[in-house]
Amino acid sequence: MPNRSTQSTTEQNTIGNLFEFDHDGLPLFRRRRHLIDTQDLLKEEVDCLMEVAALCKKNHQSEVEPLAVLSGKTIANIFYENSTRTRSSFEMAARRLGASVLNLDTKVSSVAKGETITDTARQLVSMRVDAIVQRHSASGAAAHVATELGDKVQIINAGDGWHAHPTQALLDFFTMTEIRGSLSGARVAIVGDILHSRVARSNMWLLTKYGVDLNVAGPPTLVPAGLESFGVTVHNRLEPAIEGCDFIMVLRLQMERQKQGLIPSVGEYKKLFRLDHARLQLAAPGVRILHPGPVNRGIEITDALVDDESKSLIDAQVANGVAVRMAVLYLLLTGKESVQ
Amino acid sequence: MTTPYVLQGGLVLDPASKQESVMDLRLDGDRIVALGGNLEVKPGDTAIDARGLWICPGFIDLHCHLRDLGQKDKEDIETGTRAAAAGGYTTVVAMANTEPPVDNAATLSVLLNRIADRAHIEVLPVACVTKGMEGAELTNMVELAEMGAVAFSDDGLPISNMAVLRRALEYARLSERVIISHAEDRDLCQGGIIHEGARATAMGLSGIPIAGETVAIAREIEIVRSTNSPYHFTHLSCAQSVELVRRAKADGLPVTADATPHHLTLTVDQIQGWDANYKMKPPLRTQIDQEALIAGLKDGTLDAIATDHAPHTRQDKCRPLEEASVGVIGLETALALTLERLVGAGHLRPLEFIALFTSKAAPVLDLPQPSLQIDSTANIAIVDPALRWTYSTSTGQSRSHNSPFHGRLLTGKNILTFYQGRPVFTDKQALQNRLKEPV
Ligand SMILES: [Zn+2]
Repeated sequence: MPNRSTQSTTEQNTIGNLFEFDHDGLPLFRRRRHLIDTQDLLKEEVDCLMEVAALCKKNHQSEVEPLAVLSGKTIANIFYENSTRTRSSFEMAARRLGASVLNLDTKVSSVAKGETITDTARQLVSMRVDAIVQRHSASGAAAHVATELGDKVQIINAGDGWHAHPTQALLDFFTMTEIRGSLSGARVAIVGDILHSRVARSNMWLLTKYGVDLNVAGPPTLVPAGLESFGVTVHNRLEPAIEGCDFIMVLRLQMERQKQGLIPSVGEYKKLFRLDHARLQLAAPGVRILHPGPVNRGIEITDALVDDESKSLIDAQVANGVAVRMAVLYLLLTGKESVQ
Repeated sequence: MTTPYVLQGGLVLDPASKQESVMDLRLDGDRIVALGGNLEVKPGDTAIDARGLWICPGFIDLHCHLRDLGQKDKEDIETGTRAAAAGGYTTVVAMANTEPPVDNAATLSVLLNRIADRAHIEVLPVACVTKGMEGAELTNMVELAEMGAVAFSDDGLPISNMAVLRRALEYARLSERVIISHAEDRDLCQGGIIHEGARATAMGLSGIPIAGETVAIAREIEIVRSTNSPYHFTHLSCAQSVELVRRAKADGLPVTADATPHHLTLTVDQIQGWDANYKMKPPLRTQIDQEALIAGLKDGTLDAIATDHAPHTRQDKCRPLEEASVGVIGLETALALTLERLVGAGHLRPLEFIALFTSKAAPVLDLPQPSLQIDSTANIAIVDPALRWTYSTSTGQSRSHNSPFHGRLLTGKNILTFYQGRPVFTDKQALQNRLKEPV
């Protein structure tokens, strides 16, 4: 029977018997075709995913052969926006599960010639691809393709505009639970450019499901209207947001925000919002720092803090990214009737 | 040639004369020739049993996009006026943002010829205020007005430079035409997709702030104050916009305004998923804004309901929301949607409601007053206010399908439209047992 105590279940469910893995959330995943956002994920699904991710992490860290659970499946990566790290993470995750990977270069293919994203996805469907991992600059792009072609192919959102980046939020969640176990009652801050951040949004949807005391801070010009409706406390200064926090997520500041007139200068931003060891004194004693990368060293966070292994979880996030994406691919792509 | 018609026992709603009574009407040629109780049906007449129906003057739409010229894959004069006739309209005002835009005599003359050849009802073309809608140089407003431009507007690409707008309003006096304003501050609305607020934030979309409309209205009202030229604000969407127009009217300024059926019936919270059929400009706002629009219609701040019928192909709409085209079709659903919202909910009496499509809309652009008196032109919409029907874009008349109301169960429908005495739309099913053909 399902056992929600991570420790013991993980012991029982060793890598070899991923096929025999059981959990309350499993039937829910059997019915789920796509991963578009964390907003509609049920807690049972997240819990189940975390357990599978823990198994995958063990597999990935050991020297054993890749698992063959997705052999015969083909997963296409379509990244309309450049992101070597996320794409590589998905690619490695797919290969570790025995899937074939097709990387579509959107710069040289017909995508560049004005083909719509649905047209491009349809080509891949014709090639009998099982799932599409898509990154696109327009909010709603993943949902759009899922609406148009969702009965023929499974869609995994690797980031759409400012809207969502579910696997990033899930790997952040995994990383935090590795440190703290349950996140219930934890105090977490997300700081920086909230307006343009899909990572912030997906994290807010996810963390508020778990009773996290969630605080958000950024310059008023980079905090979108109505943010309170997520169930978070909004601050315009960094200090009250990070006070007593167990985790602080620092967001990347795009340099173009200054040219857009959203902040007066990088200098002033650093003065008000850069996280450093001094400001960290306000947080809880064991506070840990997350950053979705790539880091602008010295802008949103000091060099010294990035490299402080007692505080920074940035390397763990990257490592956990592969495990969490393995779990996502495994849970979405197995246990279903063939879709083709 | 059509036969004379006798419309028997309908409720005649003639807002211009405040007439609201059950009567018969006789149409002959392009005129109403008799009005009264129990008119005689002569051999050769077509009689229509209109009991329970409303006999209204044909409707006027102050704002639609017929896309002819240049965008016939979306709509053209023929399909657009067929859709309008189905909605009960006998006069539509067609916006000038076509390809190319209607900004010179040659283009207007091509358009007027096309209207003469293909329109089922009256189409009054709007011409651009500025050449190429670039917001800089004025068009030949007098020449265009003399040829038949009914008004001027850069709808869709509003004039940002207030010096240009001021000159346009001054010069427009020579043309004796109204300028129609799509009030939008383009800097404040830059990149905006839906109403600014929790929904836009949750969807990761750039928001369109209330100030994006109200700032433009406030500043344009001050230009009107300094020029005293007639000015019409189309498709108001915000509570504060209504208040600004209300105050301008109280100050005696020559301003008028309209609202669309979609702003009167939908709010930002009702956007379904990522469906681009809910993407329009101005965007769907909040309940508070919608209630203010209704209050504006009730107290006369708003003069009319105008559709902003904006057809787009499936390819234009079927994209991620940020990239999809802006606008919705509305000619065939305007009456039913607003009838439910305004009369059904008890805000307006039928006569007041029909006035928003007829007697109160006409003076906005100084059009002849629609009426149902003897010797009036027989432009008539016959409405079954109780008919329950399901709107489907696939059986609709418009070439395009971009409506958020597809599949919606509606109450009230125009079932027969006469334009200059000829039936231009007939809902055969609804008229099945009402039509007595001549013997
Ligand atoms: Zn407009």
